Amino acid sequence: MSAVAGVAGGGAYTAGRRARRSLFRAKWPLLALGLLLLLAVAALFGPSVSPVDPNRQNLVARLKPPLAVDRRSHRVYWMGTDGLGRDVASRLLHGARISLAVGFVAVLVGGLLGTTLGMLAGYFGGAVDALIMMIADIQLGFPFILLAIMFLLVLGPGVVNLILALGIGQWVTYARIARGQTIAQREREYVEAARALGQGHAGILVSAILPNILSPLIVIASFNVASVILAEAALSFLGLGVPPTVPSWGGMLAESRDELLAGHWWLALFPGTAIMLTVLSFNILGDWLRDFLDPRLTAVT
Amino acid sequence: MALARLLAQRLLQSLVVVVGVTLVSFATLHLGGDPTYLYVGEHASTEEIAATRAKLGFDQPLTTQYLNFARGLLHGDLGDSLTFHEPALGVVLERFPATLELTIAAFALALALGVPLGVFAALHRGRPLDGGIMLFALIGQSIPSFWLGIMLVLFVGLAWHWLPISGRVPLLDPLLAGDWRTAWTNLPQALPFLVMPSVTIAVFSLARTARLVRSSLLEVLSQDYVRTARAKGLSEGRIIVHHALRNAWLPVLTMLGLEFGFLLSGVVVVETVFSWPGVGRLVFNAINHRDIPLVEAAVIVFSLLFVGVNLLVDLLYLRLDPRIRLA
Amino acid sequence: MNRLTDRERRGIGVAMRSRFHRGRRVTLLGALFVVASAATCLSSAATGAVAAPTTGATRQVLRIGLPVDADSLDPSETDAQDTMSIAHLLWGTLYKTSSDGKLDPYFAVSAKLSDDGRAYTFKLRPDLKCENGAPLTARDVAYSFDHPADPKFKFTGHASGFVLPALRYTGARVDDPLTVTIQFAAYNPIALGLIAEMFIFCRAPYEAMTPEYAASHASATGPYRLVEWRHDDRIVLERNKSYGLPASPYDGVVFRVIPEASTRTAELLAGNLDIMSGVVADQIDAINHSGTAKVESVASIRRIYVGFNQNPKFAASAGGKAIRDPRVRRALQFAVDVPTLCDALLRTPCARMATMIFPPNDKTGIRADPFDPDRAETLLDQAGYKRGADGVRFALTLQTPRGRYPNDVNIALAIAQYLTDIGVKTTVDVLDFASVFVPLVRQHVAGPLFLMGSSGASWSALYDISDFPAPDGGSNYSDFADPEFFAGWKQIDQTHDPEEQAKVVRAMMNVFHERGTWLNLYFLPDLYGVSNKISWRPRADELITLD
Repeated sequence: MSAVAGVAGGGAYTAGRRARRSLFRAKWPLLALGLLLLLAVAALFGPSVSPVDPNRQNLVARLKPPLAVDRRSHRVYWMGTDGLGRDVASRLLHGARISLAVGFVAVLVGGLLGTTLGMLAGYFGGAVDALIMMIADIQLGFPFILLAIMFLLVLGPGVVNLILALGIGQWVTYARIARGQTIAQREREYVEAARALGQGHAGILVSAILPNILSPLIVIASFNVASVILAEAALSFLGLGVPPTVPSWGGMLAESRDELLAGHWWLALFPGTAIMLTVLSFNILGDWLRDFLDPRLTAVT
Repeated sequence: MALARLLAQRLLQSLVVVVGVTLVSFATLHLGGDPTYLYVGEHASTEEIAATRAKLGFDQPLTTQYLNFARGLLHGDLGDSLTFHEPALGVVLERFPATLELTIAAFALALALGVPLGVFAALHRGRPLDGGIMLFALIGQSIPSFWLGIMLVLFVGLAWHWLPISGRVPLLDPLLAGDWRTAWTNLPQALPFLVMPSVTIAVFSLARTARLVRSSLLEVLSQDYVRTARAKGLSEGRIIVHHALRNAWLPVLTMLGLEFGFLLSGVVVVETVFSWPGVGRLVFNAINHRDIPLVEAAVIVFSLLFVGVNLLVDLLYLRLDPRIRLA
Repeated sequence: MNRLTDRERRGIGVAMRSRFHRGRRVTLLGALFVVASAATCLSSAATGAVAAPTTGATRQVLRIGLPVDADSLDPSETDAQDTMSIAHLLWGTLYKTSSDGKLDPYFAVSAKLSDDGRAYTFKLRPDLKCENGAPLTARDVAYSFDHPADPKFKFTGHASGFVLPALRYTGARVDDPLTVTIQFAAYNPIALGLIAEMFIFCRAPYEAMTPEYAASHASATGPYRLVEWRHDDRIVLERNKSYGLPASPYDGVVFRVIPEASTRTAELLAGNLDIMSGVVADQIDAINHSGTAKVESVASIRRIYVGFNQNPKFAASAGGKAIRDPRVRRALQFAVDVPTLCDALLRTPCARMATMIFPPNDKTGIRADPFDPDRAETLLDQAGYKRGADGVRFALTLQTPRGRYPNDVNIALAIAQYLTDIGVKTTVDVLDFASVFVPLVRQHVAGPLFLMGSSGASWSALYDISDFPAPDGGSNYSDFADPEFFAGWKQIDQTHDPEEQAKVVRAMMNVFHERGTWLNLYFLPDLYGVSNKISWRPRADELITLD
């Protein structure tokens, strides 16, 4: 009975069952997952439901505290308004979409790039490995934020460029793990079997090796979504985040920094809490994923 | 012997890294377009603009500019900063002790608090203390650093008057210049200024270290040889200290090498919030002003420091655990 | 039993040498560190003195907080506005500008314009000294002009990059130790004011210093001398004993560099700063209610406007074509509610910009356009730009820097909203000031709309309108080319009579107004935080002076 069958294919049903059982036993990861699902729903459907334009300014109604009522339209500002009179709750909802999108896509970009390069390096070895690892070392020699600043200054502002900069900033982590795991897997019997059957390199990499090395990569991805969301906030603080017409949690938090001393706490509390809860959830989820996926691997070997 | 060969290998790798880093930053900064307009006065004529462009060397092809830079680098001359009109390396090194102070303090904090917290959490696994420490650590990894910094300024600095709000009293500068006396007299004044900025940087690393130490220790504690030691009747404390920790520090040490580079990243934001006169702020402004010699100088110093620390980590590995053969 | 194997003993030996003690050692060090810092914090909190060190009980030191560091302390190289305040404390000038825009004698006692109008002869005070006590004479004054002009050094600061070229300086002549004549190529109605911007420093010390050394080490001639410049941290000045003129009450001045606005305000509120520049509008109330400080504001000489770029590059798009029509530009003047912008976003009533000229010097009689969106819409309809089916007449992009002017991004966003409301769909492009915005503006390709600030002068209407010296002038960022306007400059050159010149200026400003060259906004209200312990009023020209 080859190891492959135990992980991919037929083992999926039992894996799902085990996952559900493990989740229900541990309370925190369940809570985290629930929160993230709620967030995903809000991000997907919220903006279409919300009646207020997040970019609509109303200079007369600026800096209203939460639960203030607009004098003319009698609408309640549930989370108050910001410096331009824009509804904070509405911006928070739209910002969910942007922040989560940036987080996921950046991790996807970095993950795809890193995994591909790492697998190539580990599988082919030799010059390919040396070259890829050299590029990785060079990138590690840069403090991440300097790299991001330089990229964004050259590429210019915008959500797409931000995603690119954040994604390219983290491919090395995935590459290293993918490389190490690929090296461990490449001498296994199932790989030799696949080669004997006439499968090309690409086929082997994608269908045979990749499913077996996914687990640690998924764990890292979960943690990385958290750190990308934080990095977006830091870049917004430095003025390099999303453009001001696009609401994002990091941008809202960065904009609020001068308002704290003025006592307008709600401008920082809501986006700050949103960021913290989301990042916390991803970290908890990542922890659980790591515990869940690890013993399975050792049990199979 | 193996050590010499390893050193040579590592040095070569480090050289490649440093060269690569300068190449990447050079290319990136030049991709942003002609920086000449940043260096001429508001009412400059076209002749003045052309003259400035020639003076700063921006009119030559990129490869020539890079080769000139590389040639200068071999002589230790990194050119003059375009904003300060002084040697770029000097400008960077002048502010370097400040950033180093912050990084070392944050590093020490993360270690001094993170390791014990991780050990306690592992020892009390499953009990409320473990949960509490882990929750604290998770929260610590979830706070945006600039927000934490501003909160500290407003509460600890302004509202409660516990610590000074911003600024710095030099500590490393006299120390590195050999002036122990001044460093010693400055110490009591310098420490209060150092606390809030280094705490802000350290929180994330501290949290991560605590969690890593905890999981590393737990993993080791479940190993066979620990079971054997327990069976032999060794006390729990002895097991922890003599066996478990000895093997648990390996992944921690690896992380610490990378952590240093990560700490340097957090420095830019913190130096701005606490107006700490370090390299982080300098290089951020330099990138904004396309002061290419200054960015190159800073980037070289950073990467040299980073490879130096990692080299040290590798050497520590070898020294403390000769079983490991580094590929 | 409990006997350890040899291997374990060796292993323990290693561990004891390393990990065990290391772990303990580190924890001990950490605990010591925490205790030490706690002890020092509490002790320093008890003594209270955590700000800049002062020596002696009766020493009066003024502490000023700035957002950026000085760019250079070489008087031939310095360029930035904030550095000017520091420079005026270190060096004197022949004439100086009072806070209400008058030119008064300072290092010189008199100034006489030659008959052909191409030279000014100054008689100097006899009691001027260099920092080391040596007398300051006409030779030093001549050096102060020749040194920045010297092509060998390639200075690019305010003196050599702007003042001397604007003056068209040709040379300085030493007539006797107390008389010096400054010569320039042609009559210039603002020559005296320009000369007043040149710092006077001594020849001997500056000949002995390289430009690199001089950038951080100043030899003073003014009321203060440089003690220390800790880069990015602080500049420490103390009283210059060789300065012979009446002194200010402060023994020393410390300029602290604090880039983050909230941190700067916190220092002011904590009592660690006496004056602070760059107050964030939304923090005004917090400062005024604090009991330790208050906010002082002044309408500065800096004009904030939106430029309409008439560079041919923009002619292709519908919006770009539209703004080439002066009727469109006139219409848009009524679209923006400037007083509300100021009240809401700057939290200060601001001086509305009617013309380019600083209001106390404005004798044109031109009034600012009121907020009248209906009129704007009517004018646009009349010009032939009706609303389409989607309510849009044409689209424009407004480019703005970020953080360069107070609340610039929010001002731009608000203006865009106003314009969109009358059918001109405007999107805002936020650009980094130094690396992106400035190059675009300098090359005259920012736009088609761009938010910009331009500093004028408190002492001359002509200085204010010299943003447009010629159609191809470097600072003509809008490529404004109306021949009627520029003909006015020739007329000004021909007459030396201020009355005649004022008439020409009025005519030029009428043209400027009718063509809607700028979307006139306001004169930037500068906000300063001032400690309740001192009394200090800010100046319109943004100089921080101590008299």
